[in-house]
Amino acid sequence: MSTTPSPVPSTREAVIIGGNRIPFSRAGKKYVRTSNQDMFTAALEGLVARFGLQGERLGEVVGGAVLKHSKNFNLIRESVLGSSLAPTTPAYDVQQACATGLEAAIAVTNKIKLGQIESAIAGGTDTVSDAPIVVSDRLRAALLDANHAKTTGAKVKALLQIRPKDLAPATPSTGEPRTHLSMGEHQAITTAKWGITREAQDEIAYNSHQNLARAWEAGFFDDLVTPFKGLTRDDNLRPDTSLEKLAKLKPVFGAKLADPATMTAGNSTPLTDGASAVLFASRAWAEERELPILAKFVDAETAAVDFVHGHEGLLMAPVAAVPRLLARNGLTLDDLDFLEIHEAFASTVLTTLAAWEDEEYCRTEFGLDGAFGKVDRSKLNVNGSSLAAGHPFAATGGRIIATAAKLVAAKAKETGRPARALISVCAAGGLGAVALVESV
Amino acid sequence: MTVRGTQSAVTTPASYRVTDLPEVPKLGGLFAKGVAGSAGKRPKGEVRLPEVTYRVARVDTAGEAAHLAAYQDLLGEPSSDVLPAGFLHVLAFPVATAVMVRGDFPLPLLGMVHLRNVVRVLRPVRLGETVEVRAWAQDARAHRRGVQVDLVAEVLVDGDPAYQGVSTYLAKGFTAPDGAAPADESPREAWTAPLPTARWKLGAGTGRAYGAVSGDQNPIHTSNLGAKAFGFPRTIAHGMYSAARALAEVGPARRGEAYEWTVEFFRPVLLPGTVDVAIRYATDVAEGGADVASGFVYDGWRSGKDTRHFRGTVRPL
Repeated sequence: MSTTPSPVPSTREAVIIGGNRIPFSRAGKKYVRTSNQDMFTAALEGLVARFGLQGERLGEVVGGAVLKHSKNFNLIRESVLGSSLAPTTPAYDVQQACATGLEAAIAVTNKIKLGQIESAIAGGTDTVSDAPIVVSDRLRAALLDANHAKTTGAKVKALLQIRPKDLAPATPSTGEPRTHLSMGEHQAITTAKWGITREAQDEIAYNSHQNLARAWEAGFFDDLVTPFKGLTRDDNLRPDTSLEKLAKLKPVFGAKLADPATMTAGNSTPLTDGASAVLFASRAWAEERELPILAKFVDAETAAVDFVHGHEGLLMAPVAAVPRLLARNGLTLDDLDFLEIHEAFASTVLTTLAAWEDEEYCRTEFGLDGAFGKVDRSKLNVNGSSLAAGHPFAATGGRIIATAAKLVAAKAKETGRPARALISVCAAGGLGAVALVESV
Repeated sequence: MTVRGTQSAVTTPASYRVTDLPEVPKLGGLFAKGVAGSAGKRPKGEVRLPEVTYRVARVDTAGEAAHLAAYQDLLGEPSSDVLPAGFLHVLAFPVATAVMVRGDFPLPLLGMVHLRNVVRVLRPVRLGETVEVRAWAQDARAHRRGVQVDLVAEVLVDGDPAYQGVSTYLAKGFTAPDGAAPADESPREAWTAPLPTARWKLGAGTGRAYGAVSGDQNPIHTSNLGAKAFGFPRTIAHGMYSAARALAEVGPARRGEAYEWTVEFFRPVLLPGTVDVAIRYATDVAEGGADVASGFVYDGWRSGKDTRHFRGTVRPL
């Protein structure tokens, strides 16, 4: 793998104006029977209201959902039509598992940078409470056969293939199609490989809750969140949790491995419902409307790993993407003021940091001269992350981008010099997306 | 045709008499014959194999499309007109079984233990090609628990070997003939499970499902009563099901057109059951742990235990 930075093509800037999300809610609670479209429309409307975009024709609205019903083929366009944006605003759906929201942002900012559009909203939504349920493959085959049959006799014959066990519905799972291991089991394997301790994971989880709670108390989310369905804060947040409480939880992943199981419901993200949206624009568009400019969306990189044959852990793709992104921009870990590493599991953060600190790994996998570097923990997920906020898959990217943009803006204002944040999101399928956000 | 990296091609021993069969026999009838004949095949004297090769000169694969699709669907092979090695094994298996149910084949069909398989695909065989299938038994030799014997099946296209499969079976309590090679086994070392790369949840019907696509309806795989009769508490998965699934997971893109596929069986997989599997690059397996220098090594064991089920390799030739 080459470490020679490829030049960043010179284009105009894509800036971040602001973000909005609805409070994230644990599955099966406040947002039961609330659809992806309901939630994304709510996040969108909050953003429109905040920046006075009513009736505005934006360049594009892009987003997606990971758990999506086939009837929602135009989920984002339908949400736009239900919003107070101009109905002439185009939209499309994307899906890259948990990286959906960040990938949507990469897509729209690239168009802004190229001058194809002036403004855009990127985001995502996911619901586990209102997840689509599909019928079994055998039932589906029988129904399709019956549908295609020309005669009544043939239709009846097709339907007679159905057996009682075929009627059991299939609920979506986080299982990887090729390995049949859940995401948690995959991460348990990676955790074992890197020898990450239970204590270290619980500490990450504890910090996440403490940091998110402090940020809420300080009003950090006041202009980032719109209340929805009676919820005003993320209801997974446990400000009163302690290391002792976390230590009491039973492991839920990795029980079948020889190594001790360390991953619990406390240091793994819960299934969550929610939606988020971020407003991007060219600098000129923002200035023309006298909208605030928080930060620049500088650059992004995606990566993938071969987890199917165990060469790398399922959620380790960002580990490869970040060195490439920073090299291209002539930066090192020390040049960053904030690291927003999505907490799919506490151990995902820890295996990421461990890999970057491992000389041999960085040499053999990335062709670096030595270790990529050590992350200053005081810069890590300073206002909490997914362990505390929850993780409605496609909505997480938007949550993090808005947080990162606000953080660098405040830091730059405070210090009088530019501030940078790195965003890293791992995703199913061995995928990862990372991005660089910088103050203006 | 020469294939890089292979040793001399397996071919019918010169002294063997070739007997032509008009078509691939039906496994059901062979099993019935095998069950009936098994009782009479008891250890007495040294094992002498019949020096005969069964040959089906023309097997038209054109009619196998639905069978191939069912096989691909069950094992996870991608939809393709190239016949996977496991499917060629299925095609040739009845001819090898026909050898084993001959009256002069000295070992009982039922109760033989499948020890290992070494398969080579030397060139791709495509759906629609007409092939020749040959099978014979060879090399009865000592095993610490009896005698082991190789059943060889060969698939030829235009006279050239395209597939060669050697299935090694153990007949407990039998005696190897004079001059047979000594047992080549060393005591098994303690084994610790590696980190898995996949988890297979095998339902109670797994044996019946593979039985339906392979034709191998041996009762130990398809009925709990049948399994109990042979000392198993429940049905067991076909060894070739596990091996073929591992082969499918490596996939055509990585195994190439010509490849070697091996499997060695340890404890059987009881159904229903969960098997943890590690399918790894040979280069990623710790020094000395890989049986091959290139390609893939796969291991299967009982989820959460050190009960080893199988180990094998898949490598491009």
